[in-house]
Amino acid sequence: MSEGRSAWARYRGRPVDVRPGESLAAWWGRRGVAIVQRSIRYHRPRAPFCGIGHCTNCLVRVNGRPNVRACRYRPVPGDRIETENAWPSPTFDILGALDPIFARGLDTLHGFTRPAFARPLYHRVVRGLAGFGSIADAPSPVRPGLRFEADHLVLGAGTSGRAAVERLASGGGTGLWLDRGEVPNAPGGFRTLPRTTALFLPPPTGPAERPFRLLAASEDHVGVEIRARDVVVAVGGYDASLLFPGNDRPGVLTGDGALALAPDPTAPGFRRAILVGGGERAARLLATFGERIDAVVAPGPVGPEVSRLASERGVPIYPRTLILEALGRRRVRAVRLSSRSNGIPFDVPGDAVILAHRRLPNPQLLFQSGASMAWRASSAAYYPTRSNGVATSVPGLFAVGEAGGFDPARAASSGRAAAASILDPAAPVEREPPTPSVDGPSELEGYYRELLPKLSGRGKSIACPCEDILLAEIVEANRRGYRGIEVIKRYTGVGTGLCQGRYCLPDALLVLALLEGRPPPEVGYITQRPPVVPANLGALAGLAADPTPEGP
Amino acid sequence: MSRPARDRYRVVVVGAGIVGLFTAYRLAKAGAGPILVVDRGFLSAGASGRNGGGVRQQWETRATVRLAREAVRAYRGFGREFGTNPWFRQGGYLFLAGSAPEMARLRAVHEVVAAEGLRSRVLAPGQLGAIAPELSGAGIAGATFLASDGTLYPFPAVWGVYERARELGVEVAFGLEATGVRSDAGRLHGLTYPGGAVATEAVVNAAGGWSGEFARRAGLEVPNVASRHEILATEPLKPFLDPMVIRLSDGLYVSQTMRGELVGGLTIPHPPGVAPGLGSSPEFLPTMARALVTLFPRLGSLSVLRAWSGYYDDTPDGLPIIGEDPRLSGFFHANGFGGHGFMLAPASTVRIARSVLGEPIDLDPAEFGIARFLGPRPPTTSEHLQPG
Repeated sequence: MSEGRSAWARYRGRPVDVRPGESLAAWWGRRGVAIVQRSIRYHRPRAPFCGIGHCTNCLVRVNGRPNVRACRYRPVPGDRIETENAWPSPTFDILGALDPIFARGLDTLHGFTRPAFARPLYHRVVRGLAGFGSIADAPSPVRPGLRFEADHLVLGAGTSGRAAVERLASGGGTGLWLDRGEVPNAPGGFRTLPRTTALFLPPPTGPAERPFRLLAASEDHVGVEIRARDVVVAVGGYDASLLFPGNDRPGVLTGDGALALAPDPTAPGFRRAILVGGGERAARLLATFGERIDAVVAPGPVGPEVSRLASERGVPIYPRTLILEALGRRRVRAVRLSSRSNGIPFDVPGDAVILAHRRLPNPQLLFQSGASMAWRASSAAYYPTRSNGVATSVPGLFAVGEAGGFDPARAASSGRAAAASILDPAAPVEREPPTPSVDGPSELEGYYRELLPKLSGRGKSIACPCEDILLAEIVEANRRGYRGIEVIKRYTGVGTGLCQGRYCLPDALLVLALLEGRPPPEVGYITQRPPVVPANLGALAGLAADPTPEGP
Repeated sequence: MSRPARDRYRVVVVGAGIVGLFTAYRLAKAGAGPILVVDRGFLSAGASGRNGGGVRQQWETRATVRLAREAVRAYRGFGREFGTNPWFRQGGYLFLAGSAPEMARLRAVHEVVAAEGLRSRVLAPGQLGAIAPELSGAGIAGATFLASDGTLYPFPAVWGVYERARELGVEVAFGLEATGVRSDAGRLHGLTYPGGAVATEAVVNAAGGWSGEFARRAGLEVPNVASRHEILATEPLKPFLDPMVIRLSDGLYVSQTMRGELVGGLTIPHPPGVAPGLGSSPEFLPTMARALVTLFPRLGSLSVLRAWSGYYDDTPDGLPIIGEDPRLSGFFHANGFGGHGFMLAPASTVRIARSVLGEPIDLDPAEFGIARFLGPRPPTTSEHLQPG
């Protein structure tokens, strides 16, 4: 606790009594701060959503620095934390009037061209709406980057990454182990880089003893460049979003978000949440939050673990159910559901909606590296094509755990297998259970097929929360004849926000597949451009080979 | 892959970028007859969907200034003609010189621009604050500024021309690669694609970075060289930068879009030619980041969202190639725009369409015709103000 500190961090002037290690977003949850941000276009109320540093919902200005993510920022005494893009406050924001005024969306693609004399005015107004924060109050120093060389580079400190490191350390050689979050103490020969984010892993072109080159950045904005002989990608996965009207309403958050915002599960910022999902992930969240889950809604069937936990706790389950809308004036107060079998709408009250229906891998680094990737229809995601158990098509590059397409039970063994294969390429590998030869379409395809016709006339379904792009805009682009995700991305802007498409493209792909009447892989996939996560200019500048010439 | 609907067209345009689509639109508007545009990628896959959206009128050559000036007028009225809004914003172009020789070069450009009646200004370092207050003055010897230059959002311009062209009956086939032409005794009469061909009297080569390759497939030696250029976009900020800023020394260009993102690039050497994939290099991000925080010290905490790259279609003298090829009647050039196809498209395609229709054009063939590269002497004029 904060007793005895000489100064407090202040959020909008209010003292922030964070607990050790607690993020600002977690503090919001514990203190009941419900609305913290306004969305970029319509100034819709927003609150933390992803909890893992990807979405735009928790951006704040800290000590004059814009666009700091509250879910990853731990306030320190003396901090001055302000809100962005809301005036006078996130709860009562004047420009919040834009949302009902443009109830059917704001068409900046076709509008604002007439009359000609009004163009400068349109430009001033629309440009003024752009952006979340303003430029920083002061320059930030560029610190020299760090350069490392290692035999083994392991990305990710989850179960599979840890297993790989333990086995690799036993074989000698040097290693580097990094993670966006904390990294445990490493065994001999391994050096750790905690709170360091991998940004760019281009195809290996370096000398044979160190062909891989990775750009990364630490949380405190120091650039990192690593050259390595082999790389184990153990970067895990994340909980996806879901499309329904009001899907950006404060209180709607991912499973990752619920966990990250509640280091203390007794004070998670919600009391009677509606949990979405029926699989392993939903079961874990149900076990974690127990009494605070009031209902379980699953787009598809409900697995035995969720059924057991729910019945133990007396939580009602709604399997194979459509979420028609999240209701509430600002924060969620109920969801409107309808069973996929009978279609009669009904409301279930709740103060949060936790999305745990779909886990997606983090494939970005693998795509960048040039590894061959294959679409797995049943999970509606791309996974590396693996040979010999865990090896990707790029020699020396291994994908393990969730990112490699292994279920949680096989995370550790996949990590060990990668290490074994690196230490002794000739060693026999643990055989994979054969991939099911029939790879049926994902449950969500059928779900969206039923849901889309029911959405007309309801509120805004936000396809891309970062840029406030509506599902209706994707449908309109399709109606105008634009086809394929690459074109739709450029036409609507979906996938171009801060989350790099993590919370819009997976669903957009399924919706487009339905609209275009072809399987998702034929709709295409967005090039995974560097950096994988938005990267600080100062950190990158510290890696420049030599200063830019400045003239005489 | 789509296939052409007919087996005969009046004109086939190779490349559905802004130059190809604008050309097709102008031909259709002139009632030229059935027009086909083929593109081996998707709409906006090439440089038209990858550029920084700059439209400037500051050039070393008067003919280019005139084309650019006409383009600025066209983009101002674009929404009324095409129905989409590219948000062309005239925040000006600020060219920065880092040394006396660079400043002398900018002065020469200023003379050309001023002679065309545009109100270009020569600025001392102390005058930059009024135009770009966040800019660090370190290492800047002087600048030129033209307030009527501007930036636009390229995609809506592509959609607008594409949709209007199609309304006028232009057929656009995506995923269809032009593999060559058919000709007889120096006269073109068809275009081939994998597994087929269409008959036509005229082929317009508007293939951007691939136009050299396509011309060679048609049996024509051309000097076009594709060069890869990288670019990045940052997270959005509230507006703080009005002009496009260009630094002569390293070709850096950066502007703030209507969405608040900074979009910009600089030139780092890549091997010439079209390489498979359009990837980013690990050198670009640090180099560009260093340049940006040097110019704008308060951007150190800003994040880069994404980096990508695209191809310039370069010619030895920096001027585009426009008009019919004297070696092959019916083969028309609409290429070699370097990194400036988007900004010159509305004006240059008026000339390209006219030349296809056999009408006279007001461009000096010694400056813009392919013939300038075919004789024993190198071209006399050149345009080397290349960045942004």
